[in-house]
Amino acid sequence: MASLVRYIIRRLLFMIPVFLGVAILTFFAGNAAGNPINLIRVGLRNPSPAVLRALEAYYHLDQPVWLRFLYWLGDVLHGNLGVSISGRPVLSQIGPWTFTTLELQVLSLILAVVIGIPVGVFSAKHQYSKTDYAITSVAIFGYSMPTFWLGIMLIIVFSFYLGWLPSNGAVSVSYPWWGSWALDPIAHLILPTAVLTYVSLATIVRLVRANMLEVLRQDYILAARASGLSERTVTYRYALRNAISPVVTIIGLGFGAALSGAPALETTFSWPGLGYAFTQAATNLDIPLVQGITVVITVMVLVANLITDLVYAVLDPRVTVQ
Amino acid sequence: MSEARPRRAASQWAVAWRRFKRNKSGLIGGAIVVFFILVALVGPYLVPYPARSYQSLYEGDAGDPPSFKHPFGVEVSGIDVFSEVVDSTKNDLYVGLAATLITTLIGVAIGALAGYFKGAVSDILLGVTQMFFVIPVLLLILLFARVFSVLVFKGLGLTLIVLILSFFGWSSIAFIVRGETLRLKEMEFVQAARSLGARPFRLLFRHIVPNILSPVIVIATLNIAGFILTEVVVSFLGFGDPNTSTWGLLLNEGFPYVRTTWWVALFPGLAVVFSVLGFNLMGDGLSDALNPRLRE
Repeated sequence: MASLVRYIIRRLLFMIPVFLGVAILTFFAGNAAGNPINLIRVGLRNPSPAVLRALEAYYHLDQPVWLRFLYWLGDVLHGNLGVSISGRPVLSQIGPWTFTTLELQVLSLILAVVIGIPVGVFSAKHQYSKTDYAITSVAIFGYSMPTFWLGIMLIIVFSFYLGWLPSNGAVSVSYPWWGSWALDPIAHLILPTAVLTYVSLATIVRLVRANMLEVLRQDYILAARASGLSERTVTYRYALRNAISPVVTIIGLGFGAALSGAPALETTFSWPGLGYAFTQAATNLDIPLVQGITVVITVMVLVANLITDLVYAVLDPRVTVQ
Repeated sequence: MSEARPRRAASQWAVAWRRFKRNKSGLIGGAIVVFFILVALVGPYLVPYPARSYQSLYEGDAGDPPSFKHPFGVEVSGIDVFSEVVDSTKNDLYVGLAATLITTLIGVAIGALAGYFKGAVSDILLGVTQMFFVIPVLLLILLFARVFSVLVFKGLGLTLIVLILSFFGWSSIAFIVRGETLRLKEMEFVQAARSLGARPFRLLFRHIVPNILSPVIVIATLNIAGFILTEVVVSFLGFGDPNTSTWGLLLNEGFPYVRTTWWVALFPGLAVVFSVLGFNLMGDGLSDALNPRLRE
C-alpha cells in the first residue's frame, strides 16, 4: 500500500513539468500571434487612447515576454483563463463545452472498451479463422481512416440520403427528432458516438488480440488447461488478466488522442464542445480562448493518464516498486 | 590447398525480405505504397488539369458529378477532383516522408543518448520525451499551424507543416530507441567493443544503433501513415497551406457543399484511407518480418 501511495505521488509530480511544458508551448504560440490589441481593435470602433492604455496594462505589454508568461501562468493557476476577444470570460464559456465533449468522449470510450475486449479475445481465440480475418480487416480500416472523414461519409448516407439522423449539433432548434424532445439528444448522439467508438474500438481490438495471442502461448495457460479448468475460466480469468494491463495504458493514451482529435470530429458534426470551439477560436485567432481550451484539455488528458496509471498499478502491482 | 570457406549465412536483411514476401497483407501494403509513389511521380504529368486550376468553371462543368470527363466530379469552384487528388499525392507523401525522416533522426539521437548515458542530461531527455508522449499533441499542432502559417512564416508552405509535425512527433521513436539502447548496452558485444577502447559515440552509433534499426524501421513506417493523417486534419480544418494541393485541402473545400457535391468529400478521403492503409499494412508486415522472436 505504501508503495502504491509513493507511486501515485511520483506520477503526480511528473504531471507538474508536463503541464508547465504545455503551458510554455501554448503561451509561446499565442504570443507569436502578435499583439492582442490589434486583434481586439477590429471589434472596437475608434478606441480612445485611455482604453488602449488600459488594454496594454491588462496584457502587461510593457513587460518582457518571460514576465508576461509568469503573469499568464499565475492567472491560469488561479483559475483565471482571461477574457476572449468576444469580451466574455473564457472559463464561463468553456464550462458547458467541456460537458458536451466529455459526454461524447466518455460514452464512446465505454462502448469501445465493452465491445472491444470481448471481440479482441474472440479474434485471438479463433486466430486465422474467417471471423478473425473479418475482424482484423475492419479494425485496420478503423485506424487508417481520418475520424472526421468517416463522420462526413456517415452524414452523407444517414442524414442527407436516408434522412434518418441529424447531421449537426447536440439538440434540434425547432422540431425534435423522432417526435420527442426526450429522444432528440439521443438522435444527435448516435452518429458522432458511432464514429468515435469505431475508431477507438479498432485500436483496442488490435491490441487485445495481439496480447492475448502472446499470453495464450505461455506455459501457465497450458498448465491451467491441463488441470481441467473450463476454457472460459482459462481465457477470461487466466489469460485476459495478463493480457489486459498494456491495453489499459493504450486506453489512457487513446483517450488523450481522442480528445486531441476532438476539433476535427466536433467540427464535422458541429458538436457544441471544446473541439468545435477550438477550431472556431483558432480560425478567429481568439488566442485567450484557444489557450484556455488547450489548458483545459491538457488537464483532462493528464487526469485520464493518472487514472490509467492507477488502474494499471492495481492490475499489475509490480509497477509500483521501483 | 585452402579449405573451402563455409557458405555465408543469409544476411539479416535477406532473411527479413524472405519472410516479408510470404506475408500477404504486408505485400498488399507494399504494393499500395508503390502505387501511390508512382502516382506521385508520374501522375501530375498525365492528369487533364494542372494543380489548383479552376479551368472546369469556364468549361461550364463546375459542381458536376462524376462523369467520363471528370471521373471524380468537379468542385463547385471548378476544380477537377480527379486531377487534384492526383496532384495532391506527391504533397501528402512529401509531408509523411519528410516528417518521418526528421523525427527518426531526432528520435534516434535523443533515444540513444537518453538510453546510453546516466545522469541529469539523460533524465531531462527522458522527461521531455515522456512529456511529448502524453500531451494532446494534435491540439498543439493545430495551434502552431494556425498561428505560424498565417502570421509568421508565410512562404514556407507545406514545409512549415512538416517542421511542426516533426517538432511534436519524435517521441515514439525516441522511446523505442531508449529502451533498446538500455538493453543492448549491457550485452557482451558492446562490452567487448568498449574494452577494446571504443569511445561512447562510436559504441552508440557503430555498435548499438545499427542493431536497433528493425524496430525503428517499423515505427517509422507506421509514423508515415500517422503524419499523413495528421496533415489531413490540419488542412481539413483550414490551418494548412491554402496554396498547395493536399487531400485535406480538398476535404476542407468540399465539406461546406457536401450535401450536394458529395464526391468532393468521398474521393480525396478514399485516397487518404488507402495510402494510410498501405503504410500501416506494410509496417505490420515489416514488424513480423523483422521480429527475431518470430523467426522460424
